[in-house]
Amino acid sequence: MIDRLLDAARGKVDGADALWRREEQTAVSFESGRLKAAGISEEAGLNLRVVAQGRMGVAGTTAAKPDPKELVARARASAELGEAVELAFPNASPQSLPPIPTFFDRTANASLSELIRMGRLLVERLARPDCQVNVAVQREVADTAVGNTAGARGEYRATGIAVTADITRIAGDDVLMVYDQYVGADMPSDADLEALVRSVDTRLTAALKIVTPPDGALPVVFTPAGLAAVVLPLEQALSGKTVLQGSSPLAGKVGEALFDVRLSIRDDPLTPGRPLSRPVDDECVPSRCNGLVERGVVGQFVYDLETAARAKTQSTGNGRRGVFGKPHIGYTNVLFRMADGPQGGAQHAAPLPTLGGGLIDDIQDGLIVDDLIGVGQGNVISGAFSHPVGLAYRVQNGEITGRVKDAAVAGNAYDLLKKIGGFGTDGRWLGARWSPSLLLEGVSVARR
Amino acid sequence: MKDRLAAAVKLSRADYTEIRVERTWSSAVAFRGRRLETATVSEDQGGFVRVLNTGCGWGIASFTSLDELPAMVTRANELSRAVRVDEPIRLAETRPQTGDAILELDGDVRGVPLAEKKQLLDRYNGAMLAVSDKIVDTQSSYRDEVSEVWFVNSEGTSLYQLRPEVVVSGTAIARRNGNIEKGLESIGLRKGWNSVQTFEEQFRVVAQRAVDLLAAPRVRGGAYPVILDNELAGVFIHEAFGHLSEADFVYENPQAREMMTLGRRFGKRVLNVGDNGAAQGLRGTLPYDDEGTPTQDTPLIKEGILVGRLHSRETAAKLGEQPTGNARAISFRHPPIVRMTNTYIAPGKEGVGFDDLITDIKLGVYACGAFGGQTMLENFSFTAGWGYMIRDGKVAELVKDVVLAGNLFQTLDRIDHIAGDFTWNQMGGGCGKGGQFPLPVTEGAPHVRIEEALIGGDI
Repeated sequence: MIDRLLDAARGKVDGADALWRREEQTAVSFESGRLKAAGISEEAGLNLRVVAQGRMGVAGTTAAKPDPKELVARARASAELGEAVELAFPNASPQSLPPIPTFFDRTANASLSELIRMGRLLVERLARPDCQVNVAVQREVADTAVGNTAGARGEYRATGIAVTADITRIAGDDVLMVYDQYVGADMPSDADLEALVRSVDTRLTAALKIVTPPDGALPVVFTPAGLAAVVLPLEQALSGKTVLQGSSPLAGKVGEALFDVRLSIRDDPLTPGRPLSRPVDDECVPSRCNGLVERGVVGQFVYDLETAARAKTQSTGNGRRGVFGKPHIGYTNVLFRMADGPQGGAQHAAPLPTLGGGLIDDIQDGLIVDDLIGVGQGNVISGAFSHPVGLAYRVQNGEITGRVKDAAVAGNAYDLLKKIGGFGTDGRWLGARWSPSLLLEGVSVARR
Repeated sequence: MKDRLAAAVKLSRADYTEIRVERTWSSAVAFRGRRLETATVSEDQGGFVRVLNTGCGWGIASFTSLDELPAMVTRANELSRAVRVDEPIRLAETRPQTGDAILELDGDVRGVPLAEKKQLLDRYNGAMLAVSDKIVDTQSSYRDEVSEVWFVNSEGTSLYQLRPEVVVSGTAIARRNGNIEKGLESIGLRKGWNSVQTFEEQFRVVAQRAVDLLAAPRVRGGAYPVILDNELAGVFIHEAFGHLSEADFVYENPQAREMMTLGRRFGKRVLNVGDNGAAQGLRGTLPYDDEGTPTQDTPLIKEGILVGRLHSRETAAKLGEQPTGNARAISFRHPPIVRMTNTYIAPGKEGVGFDDLITDIKLGVYACGAFGGQTMLENFSFTAGWGYMIRDGKVAELVKDVVLAGNLFQTLDRIDHIAGDFTWNQMGGGCGKGGQFPLPVTEGAPHVRIEEALIGGDI
């Protein structure tokens, strides 16, 4: 399909690249502990970008039998209105791409009854009185092919599986929600599922007692799930797009030590076992690991082809595209880690005997924040955040004393990450991000 | 197409079968700063099959290749039969609906050249950039679509709906040294090209506000009397209460049903709330939902008392209530689930205005505009675009980073004053639930006063 499309474009445009992707999903869902639905979804789409008379245009289609000529004509019409850009289409051959396993037979071949068995296991293990348990299992197999008129080609087949479990416990007007997930390219082992059960169980048990929140500028342990508000500003600011536009606070700061000397952040599409790992990005650029922050020093911003061309630099292999619209910058697997510490690797939700990753022993009075409400909705890139807690625990004299409600935490990611009080021993994957818990000092906690 | 779907339904061996097919024509233009990002025309199409058998669960199939339709009906039936349930799934009775529902296109976007759409957005984007050299970046987008939706089920319902939509939005980023602020304007209408021609001033105003916020202090955290402007009050009722009124939250959960018992007092007598999918010309408006049920105005809170909730056919049957036309899917890729449409706080007494709400507040916050909101049912957050301190009954200095942290029960009960100045807020974006985002919804409200609410921030 890619070859036919690029053949149709040749001679009519200065250059072109294209992506074809076919996805098949199978999903089962349990509602209130009962198996409720099973579904499949099949989708295929084609995305074409052209540079015609120096200008860029795009077109996409989900038609079952796409007409290459029609797609080229639509992309050219888009280019007539487009901006001038000098795209350097890469010419990497399939043989030169880094080897990375993306396809796992066990995931692709798992039967519907195997998916149901996993869901049922979780439902049974998580069942408890007065709690509602929802579980969903979703498996995906995706074929991706990319190519361009400079001769680059890449294709791979990838698997992914997501198992999510949530418990809702309502007692009077108190609503408690605890959630966790396993996401990987390979199937979870029963031990992985057991780790998920323990993670939910530990957090639920510690939340049963409600205590008064503290207030003031306090030490706060952000768990991997609670850390989103702190890392989101950095992910935005490390994008070459915000740097190019002048809205990134990190623009012009490459080489400067802005963070705790122990903090390193990487984007690594070559991490084994992750569903976003890939040998090549969606613009034919071979995948590589990028050091975004190394030992507290700003290292590298992430780029796609177009942004790199405008910024007069090279793509970092972070091009991502859907069926519609043009390629854009996207992260793959982001590792937020202690320099010289654990590297992430293939591990998933680790067994969780206690909360806080071993960071609470010296806290006189503070919080463990596991979930915040409304993350991503403020003025994110400035680093400032302010959110009510979704799930948080009070820590007094080194012990968890219970769950706090009706409290809000606020701070600035750039200030807080200058000095990190500690890295937890509970590093794990959560979606596409790996991180341990972090202890941050002087976080504002307000209560009603 | 209706005949083709009816034929496929007829061949189905399941007890209940529904098929939804969508074909969406859309065009999009985007600017980032002074540079055009994209100008594209797209066509997306696909189908969705859902079947149910006695003693079995739902079997679902979605697909982009319509040639596969008969095979997908068979596949969905197999999936349903693989899911054995002990308690049967029932659907509330509805009268079969047939007909075509064509919403007004108000300037068919399919007939407007892409270059004109680019010109329009260039004008709005340019208005933001021209405000100040402190506006370092903008993100502007124009998107329109005309969606054709066919729905046929095995009970005799056969519908064709034509749904237009047009959204124009812009974000202005202001920067001074390390300080970065943003202003956001978004207009979303279930209309066409003619309805989005006159918004230049709105875009200028949000860019100016982003610049003004550079010099504004952060609000101090703590509990204050808070007045919400119309837009934020709308987001508030959607987030704080609307999601709890969706019956899929309570129908399988006895404790949740108890918490949301009809007849329970939720607020003072001034509070009236509802959801109206049949309101004229709004973005959340639909003649029929995605199960073929006609939409309606559903009262949820009357004089402070819980009186209703939003239903699909399945949740209505389970609770012995009537379907309300709130089963919606964002596209053929998803099953219909219980969602809001146009959710509102009804206006208070005519003639009661903002001044009547503010006059006896010594120290408070006037929270305006909305960057967004999220709920965890009992607790919620909503982020104002900007705010002002209220001092001695008057609007005082501009403040930034105004985030309200709320508890549903306490906050609704503390609404003590509602103005008569109701407006619908026709924003772009949309609501997210169960992996389905963005669903077009509208929120409407007058100015609303909360006696005391928690504002996050430094203390």
